[in-house]
Amino acid sequence: MIGRVPNWIVWVVGIIACIWVIPIIGIVVTSVRPPADVTLGWWRLDNIRFTLDAWMRVWDEYPLANAFWTTLWITLIGTGATMLLTPAAAYAFHFLKFPFRRTILVIIINAFVLPVQVVVIPLFQLWRDTGLIDNILAVLIPYVGLSFAWSIFLVKNFMEDFPKELIEAGKIDGCGPLATFWFVVLPNSLSAIFAVGILQFLWCWNSLLLPMLYLRTTIPLPVLLTRVSGTYDLNWDLRSVAAIVTTIVPLFVFLIFQRQFAAGSQTRTGAKE
Amino acid sequence: MSMSAADAAARSSQLSSPVGGGRRKPVAVRRRRLGETPAAWLLIIPVLILFSITVIYPLIETIRLSFFDIKGLGKPKFIGSGNYIKLFTDPAFRNTLWTTLMFTLGTTTITVSLGWFLAMLCSFAPQRTLPFRVMIFAAFGISEAVSGYMWISMLRPDQAGLLNSVIGLFSPGFAHPWLGDPNTALWMIIVAASWSGVGLPLMLCFAAVQAIPKTVLEAAYMDGAKPFAIMRFIMVPLSMPGVRVAIFINLLGALRAFDIIYVLTGGGPVRSTETVGYFMYRESMTQFKLGYGAAATVILLVAVMVISIPAIIQRTAGAK
Repeated sequence: MIGRVPNWIVWVVGIIACIWVIPIIGIVVTSVRPPADVTLGWWRLDNIRFTLDAWMRVWDEYPLANAFWTTLWITLIGTGATMLLTPAAAYAFHFLKFPFRRTILVIIINAFVLPVQVVVIPLFQLWRDTGLIDNILAVLIPYVGLSFAWSIFLVKNFMEDFPKELIEAGKIDGCGPLATFWFVVLPNSLSAIFAVGILQFLWCWNSLLLPMLYLRTTIPLPVLLTRVSGTYDLNWDLRSVAAIVTTIVPLFVFLIFQRQFAAGSQTRTGAKE
Repeated sequence: MSMSAADAAARSSQLSSPVGGGRRKPVAVRRRRLGETPAAWLLIIPVLILFSITVIYPLIETIRLSFFDIKGLGKPKFIGSGNYIKLFTDPAFRNTLWTTLMFTLGTTTITVSLGWFLAMLCSFAPQRTLPFRVMIFAAFGISEAVSGYMWISMLRPDQAGLLNSVIGLFSPGFAHPWLGDPNTALWMIIVAASWSGVGLPLMLCFAAVQAIPKTVLEAAYMDGAKPFAIMRFIMVPLSMPGVRVAIFINLLGALRAFDIIYVLTGGGPVRSTETVGYFMYRESMTQFKLGYGAAATVILLVAVMVISIPAIIQRTAGAK
């Protein structure tokens, strides 16, 4: 395309990339070597033994399985609620007329700048007064509520390219506003909704601050990990397993669907010729 | 709500009124379809409720609380601008402002410049660097709690820490408590945050360069432009939109940073790594000075708003 590419460019990028994955390799190697062999560092080659001991024991040592199910449960509900409510609102904002439509829209899509710290104190008081502390609703409500700022923006942008002919056709076939949404717009916006779902999935799974403050006994994985790595225990092998378990699902979701982000915003669906 | 019933009702009402007649008259159809405005409210009401609880109410309440002195469960006492005056005379908070500035500028500079540089290099060989891009981008997909843990193990104060061992190759027996020394702790947090962050500017700038039409690059090549000239005069200027977006996202992300600081140092040693976003947590959630913490949050909010003015104008203008 632009002449011969010098090989050193590929080498430079390759070397940087290899440096980049060292921390990841570090915890994977630590998790499968006996702790006695790695007291001087996981990269030492003087005594190589492979063991899955830590992978077996961690489930008894830490409440990792419970935390995994808690995380999965919270994440799935949070993601599902956002994927359901966002397209409905985006459709109303884009295709329907109602009073204060633009004012409300501007407020919602600009809320993306707010740091999560803003909700910490008021929601803490609110959950304390309503007895929702340690209830998964205490994190689910902000997960879903805070997602609208970016998710509605994303889906509404997608809908701006939505072919008007399809809406008209729906009207002629006798669809009201709700039926148009359900039968015409929703099935043709799945790629944008899917992109929102992936982002929300990662955000719910990885968030630490809110569950740390509002949950006590049913805690998700990132909170559990900070609890066990905050203590000065020397179980580097067990903690590495916990770290891998914490991030393996979102990491795979992220790597598999990284193309989906771009695709979601670019693909034009609908209008079949 | 049964959609098939609504559909059937819609169809039956269709028969009794002319097509394309604009607004439909509420003729005597038993189950007529919902008007546009009620339908819109029905669709956005759940969003409005949740948004009010989690954004509007906390925003107003945080600002209100910042004017009150609240200790634990005691009765709030109105003190006007007392919290703000106290903040700016509190040496710990002034130190926090400095830390926030260093952290925000440090991570943004490293992340965006390195990501942009890598994107430029990758643009010369998009196919061959694909696996490398994925490797670097993968760090972006790891949760901060986990990347923090990874860096704790990399930066262990003894010989088992990789950084100490690498330096130990040149000066044997080298051991430095990277996260336990107030002089190095903040830099290590910047390194860890940049490690996760580089993938985003890399992808944004790379996508911006890939969006350049092939004909432009071919024309430049036919005119005899060397790879460096192509980079200097075509790729660099045309990647700038990606750079701008990356800078903005990074500034915003660094200002609100919490997880990585909490995991790596917990604000220490001797409060040397507390940013405003962390200070707010410490004062309100561990010291239970809710009003004081709220005032710090408002300061953070102002900083975020100032940075976001261009983005807010753009979004508001684009909202049709």
